[in-house]
Amino acid sequence: MPDDPAPLLHLRGVAITHEGADAAAPASVSFDVRPGEVVLLLGPSGSGKSTLALASNGLIPQAVPARLEGTVTVRGMSTRETPVATLARHVGMVFQDPDAQLVTGSVFDEVAFGPENLQMPVAEVLARTEQALRRVGLWDRRAENPDRLSGGGKQRLAIACALAMGSELLVLDEPTANLDPAGIEDVYAALRDVAADGRSVLLVEHDLDAAAELTDRVVVLDADGRTIADGGVDEVLRDRADELDALGVWLPVSTMAALALRRAGWDLPRLPLTPPELHEALESADAPVPRAGDSLLGRVEERPEPRPDLHSAHPAVEVSGLTLRRGRRTVLHDVDLTIGAGEFVAVVGANGAGKTTLVQAIAGVLAPPHGTVRVDGADPATTALRDLSRRIGFVFQNPEHQFIAHTVFDELAHGLRGRGLEDAEIRTRTTRMLARFGLEAKADVHPFLLSGGQKRRLSVGTALIAGAPVLALDEPTFGQDRARADELLQLLRDLNEAGTTVIVVTHDMQLVAEYAERTVVVHDGRIRADAATRDVFADEALLREAGLRRPALQRALRGVTRHPQLAGITALRDLAGGRG
Amino acid sequence: MTVDPSAAGSPGFLAHLSPLAKLAAPLPAMIVLVVARDLVTPLTFLALAYLLLLVGRRMSWRVAALLFVGLPIGAAIMGLALGLWVDAALVDDTPAVLRVGAWTLHAGAVEVGLATGARLAAILALGLIAGLTTTGPDLVRASVQQLRVPYRIGYAALAAIRFVPRFAYELELIRQAHRVRGAHGGRGPFAAVARGAGYVVPLLAGAIRHAERVALAMDARAFGAHPDRTERYLLPWRRRDTVFVLAFWAVSAATLAALFPWGL
Repeated sequence: MPDDPAPLLHLRGVAITHEGADAAAPASVSFDVRPGEVVLLLGPSGSGKSTLALASNGLIPQAVPARLEGTVTVRGMSTRETPVATLARHVGMVFQDPDAQLVTGSVFDEVAFGPENLQMPVAEVLARTEQALRRVGLWDRRAENPDRLSGGGKQRLAIACALAMGSELLVLDEPTANLDPAGIEDVYAALRDVAADGRSVLLVEHDLDAAAELTDRVVVLDADGRTIADGGVDEVLRDRADELDALGVWLPVSTMAALALRRAGWDLPRLPLTPPELHEALESADAPVPRAGDSLLGRVEERPEPRPDLHSAHPAVEVSGLTLRRGRRTVLHDVDLTIGAGEFVAVVGANGAGKTTLVQAIAGVLAPPHGTVRVDGADPATTALRDLSRRIGFVFQNPEHQFIAHTVFDELAHGLRGRGLEDAEIRTRTTRMLARFGLEAKADVHPFLLSGGQKRRLSVGTALIAGAPVLALDEPTFGQDRARADELLQLLRDLNEAGTTVIVVTHDMQLVAEYAERTVVVHDGRIRADAATRDVFADEALLREAGLRRPALQRALRGVTRHPQLAGITALRDLAGGRG
Repeated sequence: MTVDPSAAGSPGFLAHLSPLAKLAAPLPAMIVLVVARDLVTPLTFLALAYLLLLVGRRMSWRVAALLFVGLPIGAAIMGLALGLWVDAALVDDTPAVLRVGAWTLHAGAVEVGLATGARLAAILALGLIAGLTTTGPDLVRASVQQLRVPYRIGYAALAAIRFVPRFAYELELIRQAHRVRGAHGGRGPFAAVARGAGYVVPLLAGAIRHAERVALAMDARAFGAHPDRTERYLLPWRRRDTVFVLAFWAVSAATLAALFPWGL
């Protein structure tokens, strides 16, 4: 097998430099994908994984201006000279943004689009389209407009489109980054079927909890984009987990948990990759003998409980009887909610449940009816936005949407100007904010030229600069990789510990478990549950009903009978020695 | 293109004609209507267009509302409003309909206005013969198959139409975000222009990125690789298309001849 004469995809010493970039990313990648293999490509942000995906079917260098060094071949054909259309018969692509892959007006036409471009006879186009749609379970919806599919449905459609081209190899670039938990399940169910058919898959993915069980081999890039590991799942993920963790590569939550437990003195000889494996490993391991000060149990008890008595004394946000309509549809029904000063609250729910609308109404983005919302004592319905911005800051999903100035400095200073402050005062406060978010060197740069992580930090900075004690964020980690999400959440926790009330709308359940002390579940425009995060995640029926899923860690730890002290834990940081 | 082809049960005979035939047939009449000045000519063609639509297309509530409520009311309002603009010197020999102080509305002005409204309605209705019975993809296919329009352009245009709702949504988000940031406060046209200018950069940045992604996704599916592509729906120019066009032209010519000189 190692000397297979014609691996499907063959990369040797691949370095790619985008036009206008100083350095190659990836810098040197070598690996093969053989028929029938599922290969997972990992690496920290900026290591060039997405770029590599584009090189796998010749889009780089043929359609994207970039310099390609080294060798990339598909079935022995060089991707430099072989037309993309020829390579497309072998390599199918699924991109991150489901909406940016739709061309036609019906599900059926969408799948037929590729075979038609390949000039296949009509009968064959029809046969392939039907087969591909049946494979991903969309045949019954073939007449619908693709816009009407959910995010997960659109990605399954993209998979069908690749299958219909005849692709032996499916390359997926973060296919679930924009999806809610149900959508992720949906996509992986389809991918499992594809892999079971014997097709190869090259998967760039951060959500390893979903990907790990599907994977045959793992290829890891370092920060510069050099291959540093290439081997079986056991060999790479299990044996070199510490190394990958240090590199900033996100591991399955179960693996991270086991690493944390090892640091706390647990003897777990075989690192688990999935919740069942972690469960099994814990059942057969002895708890470490507690030493003074660092016992697991001790740590858990140390974690401060939410302080409801303290909160009710001074609420930051009060919502009472809030009903909101959009057109003829009622989006929120008679919602009551009180958030105390200093809380870290997650607002969760399926797509369309009304969670974003709720938080937007609180922040005055949408005008709530008079008297239904109070933020820090003020009613957003009657308060001028400039005054409201001193009480609550709102961070939109896409930071670019809210940039209004031409430099980073002005972007921050905007929130202070026009309030009768002296120039020197504005400069001091802006400079302090720049320093706080690590943007000093970027003060004169146009906000759009920042990196993704910097843009996000700037958008949080602009929301806070007017001195708002409450910060509301809409899906702050949507479409971002884990390293960036982690960085942002760390920032939010620091702010929260310094006294800022944080309200986050999110799909990411592990994130909720890690950071939020309280969770509000919105379902069909009503608050379905509002309780301590661990209690919300303890209620399986509630989660299912609201279209949510348990975070992976909790799935593993629940029902560990041998160590009851672990059973209630949902956050990695509650395991002694955990990250953060 | 809001007409959903899959929703059609028995779509009517117009749906079976080539989109190009439905565009070509009313074209001469539409051109004459641009210059016609009387009320009878546009009303005759309006009636002809309505007759074709009623007979040749499956009627739905939305179409009925458009034809019998939206279009007539729109044309009437437009016509009456235009009547107020007519130069009084041209029509001051006609009886007065309304007097307000020194200002007089003459019957001639009302007639000119209504004629204009009727012309607009007739031109629109003739356009709807194709518009209400053709989908965007079919028009593109017919253009590619008969007019030899390069398919790359045709299908790229279709993909671009899909951008519109996305950009509208994105613009709404940007507006909200800028409002919350308190950007360019103030009323009046200048503040509005300044606000609008502020939306351009984020909208454009998003649009370019989106277009690049769609282009890559299309490339990855071999779009544009070959000089032509498989057409599952052939939209040939059939004899009935020729008959339809010639018959429509003949009726147009006869009507126009009978009604000459169309108020010129």
